[in-house]
This record gives sequence, C-alpha cells and structure tokens, in this order.
Amino acid sequence: MSNDMGAVMVVGGGISGVQTALDLAESGFKVYVVENKPSIGGVMSQLDKTFPTNDCSMCILSPKLVELARHPLIDLMTLSEVTEVSGEAPNFKVKVRHNPRYVDMDKCVGCGICADKCPVKVPNEYDEGLMERKAIYVPFAQAVPLKYTIDEARCLKLTKDRCGLCEKNCPAGAINYDDKPVEETVDVGAIILAPGFDAFDARLKREYGYGDYQNVLTSVEFERFLSATGPYGGHILRPSDQEAPKKVAFLQCVGSRDSNTNEYCSSVCCMYGIKQAIIAGEHTAGLEPSIFFMDIRAVGKEFEDYRARAENEYGIRMLRGTRVASIDEDPDTKNLYLRYAVDGEVFEEEFDMVILSVGLEPPKGANELSQVFNVDLNRFGFAGTDVYSPLSSSKPGVFVTGAFASPKDIPTSVAEASGAAAKAGAFIAEKRGAVEELDIEEIDVEGQEPRIGVFVCDCGINIRGTVDCPAVTDYSKNLSNVVHAEEMKYACSADAQQRIREVINDENLNRVVVASCTPRTHEALFQSTLKEAGLNPYLFEMANIRDQCSWIHQNEPERATKKSMDLVRMAVAKSRLLEPLTESKLPVTRSGVVIGGGISGMTAALDMAAQGFEVDLLEKTGELGGNAIKIFHEEDGRKVRDFANELVSRVSNTSNITVHLNTPVEDISGFVGNFKVKIRDEEIETGSIIVAVGAKEYVPKEYFYGDDKRVVTQLELENKMQQGPLDAKTIAMIQCVGSRNTEAPYCSRVCCSNAIKNAISIKKENPQAQVFVFHKDIRTYGFREDLYKEAGRLGVDFVRIPEDQPPELSKEGESLKMTARDTILGEDLVIRPDMVVLSTGIRPNEDNEELAKMLKVPLSKDKFFLEAHMKLRPVEFATNGVYLAGLAHWPKFVDESIAQASGAASRAITVISKPELKSEGIIAAVNEDLCDGCGICEPVCEYKAITITENPKNPEKKKAMVNEGLCKGCGGCVAACPSAAMEQRGFKNEQIIAAIDAALEESE
Amino acid sequence: MAKKVSIAQYWGAGCGGCDVALLDIDERILGVAEMADIAFWPIAVDTKLKDVEAMPDKSITITLYNGAIRNSENEHVAKLLRQKSQIMVSFGSCACYGGIPGLANVTNKKAIMDYVYNKTFSSINPDETLPQVKYQAPEGELELPVLYDTVLTLDDVVDVDYYMPGCPPAVSLINEFLDIVEKHVKEGADLPPKGSFIASQKTLCDECGREKSYEPIDRIYLPHEIDIDPEKCMLDQGVICLGPATRAGCGAQCLNANQPCRGCMGPTAAVEDHGGSMLSALASIFRTADNETHLSEDDILKMMSEIKDPLGTFYAFTMPKSIIKRKVTERKAEVSE
Amino acid sequence: MKMTSTQHETQAATAATGEQFEPKIIAFCCNWCSYAGADLAGVSRLQMPTNFLVLRAMCSARVDPEHVLRAFSKGADGVMVLGCHPADCHYIGGNYRTRRRIALLKMLLEQYGLDPERLKLEWVSASEGVKFQNTVTDFVEMIREMGPNPLIEAEKQHKAERAKYGH
Ligand code: SF4
Ligand code: SF4
Ligand code: SF4
Ligand code: FES
Repeated sequence: MSNDMGAVMVVGGGISGVQTALDLAESGFKVYVVENKPSIGGVMSQLDKTFPTNDCSMCILSPKLVELARHPLIDLMTLSEVTEVSGEAPNFKVKVRHNPRYVDMDKCVGCGICADKCPVKVPNEYDEGLMERKAIYVPFAQAVPLKYTIDEARCLKLTKDRCGLCEKNCPAGAINYDDKPVEETVDVGAIILAPGFDAFDARLKREYGYGDYQNVLTSVEFERFLSATGPYGGHILRPSDQEAPKKVAFLQCVGSRDSNTNEYCSSVCCMYGIKQAIIAGEHTAGLEPSIFFMDIRAVGKEFEDYRARAENEYGIRMLRGTRVASIDEDPDTKNLYLRYAVDGEVFEEEFDMVILSVGLEPPKGANELSQVFNVDLNRFGFAGTDVYSPLSSSKPGVFVTGAFASPKDIPTSVAEASGAAAKAGAFIAEKRGAVEELDIEEIDVEGQEPRIGVFVCDCGINIRGTVDCPAVTDYSKNLSNVVHAEEMKYACSADAQQRIREVINDENLNRVVVASCTPRTHEALFQSTLKEAGLNPYLFEMANIRDQCSWIHQNEPERATKKSMDLVRMAVAKSRLLEPLTESKLPVTRSGVVIGGGISGMTAALDMAAQGFEVDLLEKTGELGGNAIKIFHEEDGRKVRDFANELVSRVSNTSNITVHLNTPVEDISGFVGNFKVKIRDEEIETGSIIVAVGAKEYVPKEYFYGDDKRVVTQLELENKMQQGPLDAKTIAMIQCVGSRNTEAPYCSRVCCSNAIKNAISIKKENPQAQVFVFHKDIRTYGFREDLYKEAGRLGVDFVRIPEDQPPELSKEGESLKMTARDTILGEDLVIRPDMVVLSTGIRPNEDNEELAKMLKVPLSKDKFFLEAHMKLRPVEFATNGVYLAGLAHWPKFVDESIAQASGAASRAITVISKPELKSEGIIAAVNEDLCDGCGICEPVCEYKAITITENPKNPEKKKAMVNEGLCKGCGGCVAACPSAAMEQRGFKNEQIIAAIDAALEESE
Repeated sequence: MAKKVSIAQYWGAGCGGCDVALLDIDERILGVAEMADIAFWPIAVDTKLKDVEAMPDKSITITLYNGAIRNSENEHVAKLLRQKSQIMVSFGSCACYGGIPGLANVTNKKAIMDYVYNKTFSSINPDETLPQVKYQAPEGELELPVLYDTVLTLDDVVDVDYYMPGCPPAVSLINEFLDIVEKHVKEGADLPPKGSFIASQKTLCDECGREKSYEPIDRIYLPHEIDIDPEKCMLDQGVICLGPATRAGCGAQCLNANQPCRGCMGPTAAVEDHGGSMLSALASIFRTADNETHLSEDDILKMMSEIKDPLGTFYAFTMPKSIIKRKVTERKAEVSE
Repeated sequence: MKMTSTQHETQAATAATGEQFEPKIIAFCCNWCSYAGADLAGVSRLQMPTNFLVLRAMCSARVDPEHVLRAFSKGADGVMVLGCHPADCHYIGGNYRTRRRIALLKMLLEQYGLDPERLKLEWVSASEGVKFQNTVTDFVEMIREMGPNPLIEAEKQHKAERAKYGH
C-alpha cells in the first residue's frame, strides 16, 4: 500500500470503533485502531442477546472483529493509548504508546498452554469478576486478536521475579518478560473518538445494598449470567446459594433520571431490562420477573411491540411509575425486601433476586481524552456535540461516535460510526488508495490427476498431547492421491508456511489439506500461502482435529486418533474434487443516487459529494427541505427550519450534486455498483442508492380536529406561536394521537419531546397559562430528560393516563370539556381547555410499497423500510448497494436523521469508491444445461441474487441467472433446486457427498 | 436394404399399460413389422420361454423390458433376455424406477401375503395356507416364482443400455426411439451412448407453458379443493406439482389435462433422489413468516403437515430407485421433552 | 394396515459381541454459529463422545435433504443439522428454509420406517459451547439407546435374499 494514502485514527475498539474502521478501510483509507484493552469487542462482546430481535450478540459481532483483524488497511493497536496530538486536520500527528504485552504477538499461536500452567488466579473483568482467569490470559475465548497477555500487576515473575512457568512452557517461545512500552507517532488526516461508555457504579446507590447483598446484581453482571459462556453456563442461579430464583425484580433507572446521580436518561436500560426479563424467563422455568420503572421508553423500531409481548406473551409484571425506595436483606435467607409506593400506598415485597438496570456514564478516561484531543465535554461529561452536527466534536477534524456523545443503543451507534467515517473521509478524500494485490501467476491444474499434500499439525502439545499425530500422518500417506504427508509442530507458524510452499513446488501438489485447528480462524492464512505458491487458494481443505477433536476428547487418545484419521479422510475426499475458483470482478459506476430531498437526503448527498462523488438527488415534490421546512421550534438555539434552508442552499451550491425536483422514480433495475434509475425521460446510472424518502405527519380524525379551530396539532401550534402570543389560558396536550393504538401500534419517538418543548415555550411566555400534558409514558430519552425536568419546574401538569383509555373530548355548548383518567391519583380529571394540542404521530409514506418493489427491498409490518439487520446493519438493506436513512426508516429526531444519513452515505461510499467489486469465490452457479427455469430457487434467495430470465440459447425457454455481485454464497438455493442445476462453488453436491461417504467409510 | 432385426418385449411386474402403449404407435407398428421380426412378445405372439432359451446369444436385436423386478421369474426372464439381446431397453417407469409396483416397498412380503390370502374380505382361508414355492401336485412338482421382499428395478439385476421412462412412455418417445433404431438399422447411424434416457434432459417446467410468479407459497391445496387456473403454474396455486423435479418428454399430458405432474418420468440425470429433491424444493418455497422467531419446530412441523404423505407424494414412481429404497421398521425412541 | 413387530424382517440387531454399540453420527454445522459453537466447546475443553463427525457448510440451508438421506443410506446411525438460532442466520433466513425441509424430511423418514428422532435439528449459537456439548452428548446417548441404523440390517437381509434367489 502506498505511503501517501490518507489515514484516520480510531480510538476505541468497541462496536462503534470497529464499524467506523471497517467503513474507512473499505473506502480505501488507512486506519489505525487504538484500543487500551488487550482485545477488541467492547461491551457488546459481553452481552448475551440483543433486543428487540433476541439475536445472539457474539454471533453477530465476531465476524466483524475477525474482518477487522484481517483487513490489510487496518492497523490494530491493542494495549495502546494516545498520549499526544499535535497539528490540525488534515495533518494531525498522533503519538501512541504501546504498553507491553510481554508476549510476542508474532510468535504466540494462542494455544493457551501458558494459562494452563500459570498458578495465579485473577477475577476476570470480562465476566465482571464472576469467573476467574490467570495472570496470563485472553479476556474471552473468541477474543480478537487471540494473543495472550500478561497482567503485569499480578504476574509473579513481573512483580516478584518468581515462577516463570509460562516462559518455560510456551512451545513457541513467545514470552518476553523484558517487554517495554514503545512510542510511535503516526500521521493522520482525521480522528474518530469511539471510547464507548462505562456503567454506573451501583455502589453509589447505597439504599439498594449492591456490594453488600449477594443477590443484588447489576444488569451488566446479569448479562454474564444469561450468557452460555457465563458463570453458570446460562442458568440463572442466586449467587448466595446457587438456587434458581423464583421472584426476580428488575429496577430501572439506577443511576439515571436521578438528581443524586445522573439526571439524564440512559436511553437503553428500559429495553435491555425487558430483554433480560424475557430471556431470564426463557432460561429458567417458573421464574417470575417484575420490572419497576417510571416510564418505559420503547421508542425504537419494533420496541413497542417487544414491550407489549413482554407483558402479554411472557407475562412479565410491569410496575409502571414505581421507583423502589430501598432494599433490605434477610440475613438468613438472603432474600430481599423491596419497599415502594403505588398510588400513595407503601408496599413491601419479598424477592429472591434483584437486578439493577444501571445507567450509562461517560467512559472513565473521558477527561484525559478531552485534554489530549482538545475536545469539549458537555455538562454530563459526554463529548459535546450539536444537534445539527451530531458527529463533530468541538475540534475540526475530530469526530465522535457511539455512546461517548450520549447514551445510545447499538444500531444508533453503528449508524453513527459509519457516519463518522463519512465525515472523516472527507478530509482525505483525494488520498484514497486501495489494497494492493499480490501478483503471482497461477499454476494451471486443469485436467490434472489430484496430487494431494497433507500437513498434520501438532499445535505444540494441543493436538499431539491427545492425538497420535505420527500415526495420522502415516495414515494420510496411504489415502489415494496423497503424494505427500508431513507432521508439523505449528502449521501456522511463519516457517511452516515457507515449508508448505516448498512442498507444493517440489511435489507439484495441486491440492493441500491441513489437519489442525478451525478454518474459521486459519483458513485465510493457509489460503494465502497457497496463493503465494501459485496455487489457487480454493484448492485447500482443512480438517479440524484440534478444536473439534483433541480438545474435546482429551481422555480418549485412541478414539481421538481414529477420529482425526476420519476427519483427514473426509478432507482428502473432498479435496480431490475441489476446483480452482476465481472471484469475478464487476465494474462500478462511481456515483450515487439519493431518493428524497429532506434533511436526511440532503445530508447524505452532501457527504458523498464532499468525498468527490457525483450525486443525483431526486425529490418528488417541487422543493427541497421535506418536513423540516415546517418545523419552527428551536434545537440547540436554532430553528430546524433555518437549518433546513441552509442545507438547501449548500446543496444548490455544490457542483457535483444534481437536483431533480418534481421527479418521482419510475423504475429501478440493476444491482450493486450498476443500478439504472429511470426518471421521466432519463435513465441515471449509479453505483448505489440511498432511500431517504421521509415520512409524514398523521392527520387526526379524532378530537374534532378540522371541525373546531381550537383543536390543533403541535406543528400548527408552533406556527401560531410564531405569529404572536397565544390567546389561551388552559391548554391540553394529548400525546400519542395516532401512535400506540391499534392502527399504528408503534411509538413515534419524537412527540413527547416536541410537546414538552412547546409546553415550555408557552409557560415561558405566559407563566399564568395552565398546560396539561396527557401521556402514557413520557419518553424524553437521553439528554432530553432535561426538557421534562424543566417543564416540571415551570409547572406544566403531566397527567399519566392508562395505556388503553385515551382522554375524552366533548362539547358543552361552546366550550370544550375534557375527561381523562389520572392513574397516579386514581381518579377522573375534568378540565375545560381553550385549546387542545394533538401530538400527532409519524406515519410511513403511502408510496413506500411501490418504491420497495422497485428496489426489491422489504418493508416492516408498520410499512417503514426494513433494514438488513436491526442491530448491526441499521442503514443498509439486504440488497447490496441500497441504503436507508431518516424517517423512511423510523421516526427520529433531526440529529439522529443527520447521523444516520451520514452513515448511509458512508456505506454507499464503500461501494462507489472502488473501481470494481469482487464477488465471493464460493457463490452459486447455474448449470445451464440442466436448468429449466422452474423458478424454485428465486424466492429462496434472501439477497435477490437470482432472476429467472430468457435462456439466451433458446429465447422461448427460461433459466435462472445468479448475479455474482449479489450472491453471498449461503447455498440455500442449491439445496432447493430440484434438478441439481444450481451448484455452490466450493460446496458442490459431489464434494459434500464425497465427504459424507468418506466419513462413513470404515476406516482401517 | 439392411437385414431385418428382431425385437422382444416383455412384461415384468407392471400393469400392462406399456404393452398397450407400444400398440398405440398405430400405423407405425407396420413399419416396425417391416423392419423387424418379433422374437418374443407374450401378449402378441405365441413364443415360449424355451424357444427363447434356444436362441443363440445376442440374436435378438432389441428387448423392450417393461415392469419392475418383483419376483424370481421377472429376474430370470430379464437375465435370459439380456443374454439373448444386443440392446436392452428399460421400458416404462416400472422398469426404470420401480413405478407404482415399487410402492410395495413400503411394506414387505410377509405382510402382503398375509393380507392378500388371509385378510381381505373375499378371502376365506381358515388354515392360513399361503402359496408355496414348490408344490407337489398329482401331475408332478410345480414351481412358482418367489415373491421378493424388495421390489427392484431392471438395472438392479441386468445391464441396461437405454431408459425410456413414462407410465407408460409417451408415443412420441417410442417413435423417437424407433426412428433412432431405424436409422441405425437402415443407414448404419450411431446409436446414442449407453445409459442414455430416451426423453428430455430437462424437467417438465421446461415443457410446461404455464405462467409462473416465482413467489413463495402460503399453503397447499389438493387438486380437487380448488378450481385450478389452466394458465397458471400449479405450484403458484398451491397444488403440488412434481414438474420441477421430473424429467420432461411426456408432453406435459397431465398438465394439459389440468392435473399436476405426479412424477412418472423420474428425475433428471444429475439428481440422485427424485423425491428428496422435490421435497427440498417444496419445503424451500414455503413462505417464511414475520413471526418466525416465535415459531417452534413443532409449529413448523404443523405447517409442513399440510403435505400429507410425503413418501406417496414425492416417490409415487421412484421408491425402489430412491436413496433409501424401501421401508424398514424400528422401534421408536421414547421422546424425552 | 397394521403390522405386528414379528412381521418385520428388519429388527435392529443387538450387538451380539457384548461390546457397547458405538453410533456413527454426521453433524452438519453452519459456518457462522454452530460450527463456531463447536469450536468454542473445544476452546473451553468441554468433553464429549467421539462418535460424531462434523461437516461444515456455510449455512444450514446448504444441507440438502438428499445429503441426509445419503448419510443414512451409507450407515449413519444419526444425523444432526445444526444452525444459527432463528433471526441469527448469517444469511438472514437460511435457517427458515432449513427448518421447513427438516420437518418435512422427518415426516418422510418416519414413513420410511426410520425413527425420525435419528435426525436432529438444533440451533446452537457461536457462544453456546455448552449447548453444543450437551446436544452432541444427549444425541449420542439417545442413538446408542435406539441401536444401529436399521437400514444396515435391512441391506444385509436384502443381500442374503439376493444371494439365495438372485441366480
Ligand atoms: S503457550 Fe506460548 S504460544 Fe501458546 S498461548 Fe501461551 S504464549 Fe502463546
Ligand atoms: S431451481 Fe434449479 S432448475 Fe429451477 S430455475 Fe433454479 S437453478 Fe434452474
Ligand atoms: S411446477 Fe408444474 S405446473 Fe409449474 S411450471 Fe413446473 S410443471 Fe408446470
Ligand atoms: S449461517 Fe448459520 S444457519 Fe445460516
């Protein structure tokens, strides 16, 4: 890679840092990832499941970690920290200190023998101290990088110059007790801070007895309880007696919304509390979870649904508006007594276990970070950002993403992470590079009889300790077509790669089998060795005789040896039938199309344009600006409307953005890198498409709206207030009009905050006015909690009404009469308002369906666009090359739309920044002689990679066509094809069957 | 003009429809007679087995063998004809795949004997006497063929040169084959490679003119449960059609009669298991639900139970040629859970 | 038509040798979750019986019912298909296809007279090393209880019949 390639530094290796680094690297920039821990993954790697889909956290995260570690443009610096930054964007000089690991990363193969021998036990941070590790350790089994680290504070050798066992036992000679910190200075054009967050220290809430009472846990600890890799293997047991608990209380807002600790709302605890309650119930039969909360802030996509299911389907007891005052422990049973009040009445209730849903705080080192990078923090200690530039810190060229800017959930963090990448990339766009390809001519093996080489790895004693490796090697020699078999101490070491290359050349091998560990971590390494030796990397097969043999059959050496032979025989059988595969290259149209000219669409267009790409911005109405043009209220001291207008003029002044007004999309064809978008009398060719079509405000049918002038929406109220003082003394605001009902069961996210904002304005203007807000929950999440508090101070009356009993409005003569049930007071409230303001929800556009069809992308059941994955792919569709931002995705605030739009732009840039795209090697391929176009395969493909087309050889007939740019190689269509016309390269039927047959062949 | 050839046709375990099909070629049969002698054809000419035994080896040019191998007599004749013939054609689905008689593989010899001789309404057999292989009659010892426990295909017992599937084979295919033979005999043209199927190499969807939507399906209908739209693909209408898994060549006769394909032509060359391939195809196009995460495997089983009798549906003609071939019986495990 | 057990010619043979019957099991694992779960079991040194061999596919949806039938016909005493939990499939909904196919295949196996319990579909995530261990251990034990794949005995009998009558 060239030296003048633009570079970015990413600080923090959690999900935000990982995503931002991957986006940048995929867009052709060099990335330095600085992580102070020994491995990456952050808090997400500690989680069991994620809401609202209950996905397994590690399952979806770990492929990203592996990808990051392997990416040639990413330099991963673990155990490292930034000590000094000088210069200005795009010429920062960053000094990084690499702290000693005491283990040579190049030599360590991650076998773990050292940890076996190490005599020192230390509570493991990864498991919140619930389990133990050694003084030489990896934080968790799937850690990336999988390299051991010595804990300098606990190692006997380093502290007392005793022991030294790991050095004696390390077969790779990787231990280095004399390791010293090393400083390095790197030049980067931009910096992204993604240090994540820390959990609130529950000890500070003395009244809950955390730390003293054994059965009071924090939610972070409980997450480890839920995990299959946690202390009780996923079973929920009480720490005091290892008994399964029956009654478990979840206490929300511990360290959030609390004037003694943190005043803000941590945004995510409601949902994770519900998730933990659901999962706990699933893990332990008879468990009765109760959740104590003030408001349930289920504001995200499908969240409200999740909440409803928790209540109705899983029977979780929800104690709304209830904060537990204190907890006492029964010293004998270790049961817990919770004291709380409902409707003014005080209760005491016994529980077996209590989980404290702790809030999110700025990361511990936030102050140092702010000094080193010269960025401001806000009054809560999080990074200071602005609603209209949510990803920028106070220092130009330094961006922030993830929970460092405000508490937030994973998808928002991921969207922002991509967004920050787009922003950072703009500083170095003209220094875009690419991964340099190895240029070695490939040996043609076509038509050759297989000549297979088998390499059997001892992995030190990891395999050889159980499996008789010499016997396995001898056995391999006798398998047909095997011309060479050899045992190796560490097949993955650098000299072993050298040796494999030599053997390939000396013996003219055309297939290689390595019997060692798992292909998931090592296949790529051996494949590149083949490549270097001139063999196609797909002529390679692995037999996993370590992870799935020697390690799990430690007490049965004979059987493990026989099984290793079976595994080698299977691999050899499959390898005979392997074929060289090539990743085909597809050209890319290096420009973008954005559909929708609101704030999101304009932001995405500007971000792409800032990196030098041509963008066509399509807007179906006659003006840019979307909904924002109608919003008069202020955010961070500036009207949304004014900001929108500024964007409009920036867009018009950007030469590489072409705006098409009054332009609906007529048709879309093509695929990633090569779309054709048909509009009026033109066809635009583009590499990627961003959907930012927005949404609309619900037009109420209820409450005499439209018939009575005194009934208005919040937007109309804002408009009125622009024109002069309101002539109303009693104002009733009704929340959730057109949301959270049977017609639209979801929460529109923004209405609570907007209503409160207007309520505050009214009160400020006329303190005499009486303002009532009728609500189910108040969902002012994050720092917006401030608004709620302020409104309370100003005397706004908040009336909590039941979930299923909206206020009633009637007329008595000329005056309006409103009756509502006040759940707190437990009585009906009657008022006579002179103005009723409806907080109307956000509804998806009606023509979403049409556009979705053209794009071949799905809609959610609420008819918003549905992203590829609700956690980790929040701004993209399963269909490659099509991205999503703004209200089209889900109701959200301006800052969230902006961040998401930048995220979508970044994802699009990862495509259009490349001159060509490479398909996967192991994709599906149609045998045209066998395919009859029956079409069974078409609906099976999740990526819409298959189309049934005219058979070019015979236009009357049909056949399936696989789009190589879209196929991901799952093989689902292959198993479906009833005439074996569809095959998966590298996993062909005959190859799989050869392995099956070999597996069942009697050995000996 | 070249010398006349001789043809044999034999009827193993089958319904006789294949013999009739051969007659269905109408006037073409005259051409056959002109070109060939009929060496052996029990329903048409009176040749005895011992006459065949007396023929020199390879003296019959072509044998069209129809019917499955169900008993020792079927096998004996198959072997005899193989010995006497230059070309052996597996004629019809029963010979090729076992066909309908092959469904006897869902039970076994004992059960069949017991049912037929003891259990039917019309059987009065108080001593439960069953047919014997050897029987001492006053006229001397009689020998009956042995009924096999497992129905076999022709190529399970002899080497087969060509396959002509169909229940019965379509007239067009018979004619096609006769053309080939005629050309070979008269002009010395090459015969197709050994093992060839005299049929299409593609599946029925290739021949079927119905319009397809390529959408997943929501439920299954039996053909009599709905008004089948003659223009639209059966599967699109929820009617199980084996067309996508079944070799074409039949002229889509069932579909032309607005009935779904039941698979008599068997699978195409690259497929090992006809039923398995259709089973997978059909299961794959069931619509995936929005609430998929809330469905248990039992719910899915219920969903798939709309397909009654998978074995009978997917293997109606090919069970003896399937991977598993026949039914076995084992004690069920106690299901814990 | 009901058959009594004495009518069956294919009875699972009890190992006459007195040695414990060692089942042979094929486990299809998808690359992203269940194979990773199996690896994690290894990394965590979770011990389990040796009776199974893993075949890796990218997704459980690559497992063709014909592969399962093939394994049974070649003598596998049990077959496991392990994939990601619903919603976790790396390829979005691959496992939804898998579960439909396996359900239907189980119905078929039952009709073939094989105990459908010989085929097991299970979801094992990348962090469920213990679940992998338990799934394998329980399955091996269950199959051990059930005895050998009856197709093998049937095949032997078939061969004997052929030898007798097959000229
Ligand atoms: S023994 Fe050595 S090679 Fe193995 S993990 Fe420990 S340090 Fe690394
Ligand atoms: S399922 Fe097979 S035969 Fe049918 S269209 Fe697809 S590839 Fe062609
Ligand atoms: S599935 Fe049946 S109806 Fe549909 S196209 Fe194929 S043969 Fe025709
Ligand atoms: S990738 Fe695991 S089931 Fe699809």
